[in-house]
Amino acid sequence: MNLLKKTVPFLAVVCAAVCAAGCNNKTYGLYTNMQDGFKVVDGSFKTELIEGYTPTERGGEAPDSTGYTTKGITYFSMYTDATVAVSDDFKEDTDKEKFADFTTEEGKKFISFTQAVKQQLDYIDKSLSTSVVNSDVSRFNAAAAGEKVQISKTAYEVISEAKRIYEVTEGYYNPALYYNVLAYGFGDKHRVMTKEDLPSDELVAKYTDLSSHFGELQLIRDGETHYAVKPEYTVEAAGETLTMHIDLSGIGKGYAVDKVEKLFNDYGYEFGYFSFGSSSMLVKRHLGGAYKLGLSNPRSSSRKPYVETEILNEKLSTSGDNEQFYTIEGVRYCHVIDPTTGKPVQTGIMSVTVIGGSAAEDDALTTAIMAMGKEKAISFVKEKLNDRRVIFTVE
Amino acid sequence: MSLKKVEQVKADKGFKIWDLIIYGVIAVTVAVLFIVIFATKDESPLTGVRVFVEGQAVFEYGFDGGAVYSDTVTAENVKEDDNGLTVTVNVADGVNVIYINKSAKTVKVTEADCNGKQCVYFPAIDDNNKIIYCNPHRLRIEPLSRDYDDPNLIM
Repeated sequence: MNLLKKTVPFLAVVCAAVCAAGCNNKTYGLYTNMQDGFKVVDGSFKTELIEGYTPTERGGEAPDSTGYTTKGITYFSMYTDATVAVSDDFKEDTDKEKFADFTTEEGKKFISFTQAVKQQLDYIDKSLSTSVVNSDVSRFNAAAAGEKVQISKTAYEVISEAKRIYEVTEGYYNPALYYNVLAYGFGDKHRVMTKEDLPSDELVAKYTDLSSHFGELQLIRDGETHYAVKPEYTVEAAGETLTMHIDLSGIGKGYAVDKVEKLFNDYGYEFGYFSFGSSSMLVKRHLGGAYKLGLSNPRSSSRKPYVETEILNEKLSTSGDNEQFYTIEGVRYCHVIDPTTGKPVQTGIMSVTVIGGSAAEDDALTTAIMAMGKEKAISFVKEKLNDRRVIFTVE
Repeated sequence: MSLKKVEQVKADKGFKIWDLIIYGVIAVTVAVLFIVIFATKDESPLTGVRVFVEGQAVFEYGFDGGAVYSDTVTAENVKEDDNGLTVTVNVADGVNVIYINKSAKTVKVTEADCNGKQCVYFPAIDDNNKIIYCNPHRLRIEPLSRDYDDPNLIM
């Protein structure tokens, strides 16, 4: 008893001192299936390894890059920045800043390449946008329940991939959470949210119920003509009959990255990268060898990296609860919706990066893993993603 | 002293060595925690910054050592006033203007013609734990104390 009397006040003081010292130095979990080849550069992240990843050869012999310099351009597409950079021997155009002044064959080829990239991005945006009135997705969303809608080959390919990943992730990636995304103030109708603006649980449950029928969306291919058939299922909410709406932004940027890779190959560019916002990236070869990629600490306002790894001839995607979020009464509401609750993810997973494979697949997978929560994510990575590198962080 | 009190004192005596052991364990734990918490953070004052474009260092400034120029950022790109230096960095797609405050030992992007201008809204670098990154212009500003061989892409 005396022992307790003496030690309890002392312990209280010690705990207070330690908490005061440590409150600005929270530690986070870093889970990865990379057994090596990465460097944790922020001491607040503690690494836990996940078994199962089988490394593959991805380098190849570096081509001669004597005289090469790098040129790049940034576009604005799908509500974000898209940056393409290429290294080539631009000869007399090396020091010219304006594309209009380029005179060499290499310079003109680069201009043609950047125009082709821009056209590709515009085409994909016009097909997948939820705000462009006549886009494939907008026409599908406006259609009646059960209606057969003709769509482009692009929309067909993206929806087809979305359906496949919906199955692989057991519904954790679900592009039919359209109404949930809007209800929480995200999507193309982004708005400032207050406590009064948050949707009721009843409304969220109806939206989520509607989204759970995404598997019933059918795709039909008739020669070169493509169709999507909207599910018959509807819900009554806020005095309206709602049909299924989809939002492919969680896979569209990755799909665009896959298409831009084809352009890199068509133009014969082996050096450079294409970055689509903070979401998806194609990384070819850096003049110094591999690119050193830093992943931003999702809890750092300065985007300071927490981990670094080398990327060479790979595609990758990242999702995080720090990309779009707001806080109400201490609760963080981010743009990634948990399909099991219909609400912004509260799983503790702060960010997910998947490296390797197709960028479209990676894009959707990162969204799904955000919603899985730590234990499910660990087993999913172990069992189904042993052909690509995965890093996720946990609060 | 009553017999009861004597018995109590005798009983207490047996715990004193345990008191000392527990205090010792707590003291060691606290010391280790403080070392772990503070040793992982670079608290040393900012000594200067290095500016990268396309992953290549193009300019650096040390508060003690002065400026190091390159073909991209020459002395003509730097204007000095009483408080510090204004560095204009021309990149392929535009320009970033950086202000280095010598007295406050802070570094900030004050102007940029990139989309979003996130780099302008980044907090000033005032210690060795911050960086500023302009993704559209592929420009990065880092404390001199960071490893030179740092990432050339940030996601």
